[in-house]
Amino acid sequence: MSHNNNTSSANDPRQPSSAKPYVAQPVSQQDLPVDYSGFIAVVFGIAGVMFRYKLSSWLAIIFCAQSLANMKNVENDLKQISMAMMFAIMGLVTNYFGPARPGTQS
Amino acid sequence: MNFSLFHLLFLLSLLITHLSFSRVLADSHFEGFDAEDDETIEEEILDHHSIRSPPVTKSDSHPLTDLETQTEPDPNPVPASDTPSQSDLQKPSATSFEYWDEDEFEGLPVEQPPPEPAKDTENATPNDPDPKTTAKSQDVTVSKKSFTVEIVCGSFLIVFVINYFTGKRENENLALAWAAKFATKGSIFEKNFSLLGVGEGEDSPLLLKEGQTVFKFYASGRRYCQGLLATMELKSRHDLISRLFNLVVPCKDEITFEVYMNDEAMDQVIFAVAKKKAAKGMQKEVRDLQRFAGLVPNPSGRKWVVDELSVISESKEVAGDLITEAVLEQVFGDKAYEKYGKNFISMHFSDQHPGMHRKMLVFKFALPDANNMADMTRLVALVPYYIDLIGRYKLSSQARSKTETARVKAAQEAYKELQNARQEALQRKKAEKKKMLEEAEAKLSAEAVRKREAKERARQMKKGMPKMKMTRAH
Repeated sequence: MSHNNNTSSANDPRQPSSAKPYVAQPVSQQDLPVDYSGFIAVVFGIAGVMFRYKLSSWLAIIFCAQSLANMKNVENDLKQISMAMMFAIMGLVTNYFGPARPGTQS
Repeated sequence: MNFSLFHLLFLLSLLITHLSFSRVLADSHFEGFDAEDDETIEEEILDHHSIRSPPVTKSDSHPLTDLETQTEPDPNPVPASDTPSQSDLQKPSATSFEYWDEDEFEGLPVEQPPPEPAKDTENATPNDPDPKTTAKSQDVTVSKKSFTVEIVCGSFLIVFVINYFTGKRENENLALAWAAKFATKGSIFEKNFSLLGVGEGEDSPLLLKEGQTVFKFYASGRRYCQGLLATMELKSRHDLISRLFNLVVPCKDEITFEVYMNDEAMDQVIFAVAKKKAAKGMQKEVRDLQRFAGLVPNPSGRKWVVDELSVISESKEVAGDLITEAVLEQVFGDKAYEKYGKNFISMHFSDQHPGMHRKMLVFKFALPDANNMADMTRLVALVPYYIDLIGRYKLSSQARSKTETARVKAAQEAYKELQNARQEALQRKKAEKKKMLEEAEAKLSAEAVRKREAKERARQMKKGMPKMKMTRAH
């Protein structure tokens, strides 16, 4: 198309004088997409702890892993994810090392 | 903090259930046996024995019945000698079994007939071998327990972790392949822009990685424009769940070029090209397209873009000027589109762009995979071509008059909205100030009000007292 323009120096479109360095645009907290997987992880973790349901605790761990994988901003997101992880691990510990669930065999 | 709260709650609930258990049993005993205080302790010990066996019998009735029938003949001679000492014990244990099973385990009539008629004597001694048999049967049950949940979830987690690293690397390779083709020495962007990359100086990194799926490339230093920002949004290959989701709901790797035009370089142009459905959506949703432009019908008598694409513009004239022969021949024409235009998603030029920068050109293309980067060459070449075209383009007087009026109106409306917003803000501030003053006054005068009220009460008391005296007198 217009590749010819770029080869000859007379028609060089470049203007080093007008070059501006890159400035990262700040993104406000509200614009960020909602961390659904972290939220689901917390829900499953709480359900696993309260109802002593093993599958729920395992699913909480899986969704925590997904949330960790998708984490963009280390400082802000790590707090929620670590909270979800705590719930999930607590659920697993109470499920496996706690007293047997009444009514069913663990 | 959360740990301790939950643990406390659990411990409490466990304690309560245990206490309620023991209390229920104790009550049932006392109902039946009023005067047997000596045996309360022994009854409680028996309770523990009887507590241990039923949970096992509930789920594993078969092995226990076998074991019980086996143990039946053996303890017979032993308890026979102990019957006089244990006769007192047998009644409570038998009845405890009865009470236990009737109240708690209604669905287990099977276990009752063998222990009851088989002489209450056996109930004392089987309680000792029972724990042993229960231990054995528990071992048996442990080996029969299935670990499906653990195996499935554990393997999913392992596959997830492996996929994270492979997916991450795949995305990085794709981004680097693009950069190698279009941003390194001798490539199209290097010939068009003097500053490439996101850092400062000579050796600045070309790509900026924002998360596992977003890569940014920046270039600056060209006529007509302040800079160009290319954002690659790739599929979430690193996330196994998203990958599975994308098997069902298809997704594409996209690259978006945003060119920030200089104010003097761009005339009043609002123009967009996209696939038919997408174009309709864009025209309805994007603010400046909705306000200023409309879908342009295919003009007859000249070559135009492929049927699959539609053009949005303020006027046909502008659209015709921007869809040049060269573009049609290279990308958008009938022949070229088949080969080179498949990765085109949309392009949008606007001098009233909603957002920070007003005058922008936005191009969106789909990324081919790492080995076929060359497919995109013609599409990427559109970018500098249109920068020059728009940079040099001047509207004709007719077109300008139309666009001018529309923009003036829009500017006036925007100004009015600003005014309204400012007035509302001022009014709100005034109202807040009034509230503050009133509250302050109320606080200050509260003491005076209290004094007044106290004085009034005192007066009323004085008034009231003579009345009371009078009535008493009467």
